[in-house]
This record gives sequence, C-alpha cells and structure tokens, in this order.
Amino acid sequence: MKKITPRTIKSKAEARTFSLWVINYFTACGFMELLPWVGSGYDMERFGILAVSSPRHADVLIVAGYVTKKAVRRIKMIYDQMASPKYVLALGSCPMTGGMYWDSYSTVKRIDEYIPVDMWILGCPPKPENIGHGIVMAMNAIKGGFKGH
Amino acid sequence: MDNEITSTIESEFPNVILSSASEDKKVLLSVKREECYQILSRLKDMGFAHLSDVTLVDYIDEGEFESIYHLWSHSKKIRAIVRTRIPRESPRIKSIVDLWEGAQIHEREGHEMFGVAFEGNPNLTPLFLEDWEELPPFRKDFDIREYAKREYYGEDKGYFG
Repeated sequence: MKKITPRTIKSKAEARTFSLWVINYFTACGFMELLPWVGSGYDMERFGILAVSSPRHADVLIVAGYVTKKAVRRIKMIYDQMASPKYVLALGSCPMTGGMYWDSYSTVKRIDEYIPVDMWILGCPPKPENIGHGIVMAMNAIKGGFKGH
Repeated sequence: MDNEITSTIESEFPNVILSSASEDKKVLLSVKREECYQILSRLKDMGFAHLSDVTLVDYIDEGEFESIYHLWSHSKKIRAIVRTRIPRESPRIKSIVDLWEGAQIHEREGHEMFGVAFEGNPNLTPLFLEDWEELPPFRKDFDIREYAKREYYGEDKGYFG
C-alpha cells in the first residue's frame, strides 16, 4: 500500500490560507448564490473555510447584497472587532455601486468609503462559480504573503 | 351581508360618507377626515376586530394625502377598506391606537415616511431613517434621484460625475 504523508505547513501565510474563517454579513440575494459553497454542493470546508458566528474568530468578512445606512454601522462594528490580518470580500454589484438601488435614499453606494475592501466579486448576483474563482484568487494572494489592508 | 354594513354606516353617518361600494366580501368606504375615527370605532363594534394595515398615498396633484385602513372581520369573513383624505398643508389626523394597538407601528412609519402627524400616537420617533434632514422620502415632491446624486455622486465623490 502506498503511504500517505500528511501535508506540512511551510509558512504562516500558508497556514492562514488553509484556515480562512468567515463571518458573513448578508442582506440580500448574494447569500443565495453563496449557499452552494456553504452547503455540500461546492463545499467550502474542503479549503479549510469555516463559517463562524463571532467576528473575533473570523479572518474574512463577506458583505453580500445592498448595504443600508443603518447596516453600514453594524458592518463597521463587525470589521473593527476582527483580529488582524483580516480580509474583506464584497459580493455583487450592490456594495460596489449601489446596483439596482443606485438612486435609493437609504442605501450606501460604495462600501469602500467605510471599510477597506480587498476583493470585489462582480455580478448581480454573482454565480457560485464566480465566488469560487474569487475565493481561490484571494487564497493565492494570501499564500503569497498578502496581509490585507 | 356586506350591503348591510354599508347601509348601516350610511344611515348612522349621513353626511360623512363620500362614497361607498360593496363587492363580493369587500366593503369600500370613503369618508371625511373628522369623522373617520368614529366610523372606524363603529366598524370595530360591528365585528371588524382585526386591523391589517394603515397605509398612506400621496396625491400631490390634488394636494392631499390619503390614509387607508384595512380591516378584517373574522366572524363575517369580510374585508373593509376605509379611506380618508388629509390636506397636504396641515397633515394631521386622529390616531387609532386606542382602537387597535397594532396601529402604532403603522402610524409611526407613516409619520416618518410621509410626515403625517397622527395625533394621540404615543411614539412617533423615527424608526428606519437615521440623521434625516430632508423631506420625508415617500412624498412625491421629494426627488429621490436628485438626493442620491447630491449625496453620493457629487463631484467631490469622484465617480459617475
């Protein structure tokens, strides 16, 4: 029988890459497209990505969907509680430009005016494949030593 | 049965009903603002125990708001819709919180979004908006697009002109 050797972690960056814990702030349809990753369809846990419920345990904040003026305060509060290095992924058109709510009186149009964003994933909403592509790109960046903003 | 309700209300409040109609399982009443509370109170006594909704519409061309009350009778299985007009210059109407406690949150939202004062409502503090200094946003003369452009897309913001 062939012997399976356990993977050795060579650096801190690599350790970070394969243990990204995620806190989600979902307001709208973006979550529906991320669900296949949370569930067994695409299964994000095979990459070591785990959804946690406390911002203090999280490395990644995912903001999906439109952000109202009230919500942005809560997002900022979550972001401030996260331990460094921390990464922010914005999902969909809404946190980027306001999306279909670009002329609304109650939504903020660009979330990076409030918190630094490391990756934008385009789409209205983005497909699960786009999200996976984005996550893998982010993982490669983190493996290469990227420590976020 | 829905005809009975309209005729009873019309006989009891002769100069108040502006128009009334009854369809299948539905009673529509258009009433004057001053007596709206009494009519709603009478309808509650007639079995309309449930208040589904209180909504407002802005008829800016006619210079009026319309306040609409949706009632439901569990025993008769009839819906009653009572409308009343409020002048835009002095938007105030008597609150119905003491009839249906559930009206409180509807009136609070109506006050926030349309600026209509519901007299007698114990709590009309803003619920959804934060630091709002413009016109109430659901009014027709509030230009949402102009506001969004001024607030978010100004020249100092540096995108979309």
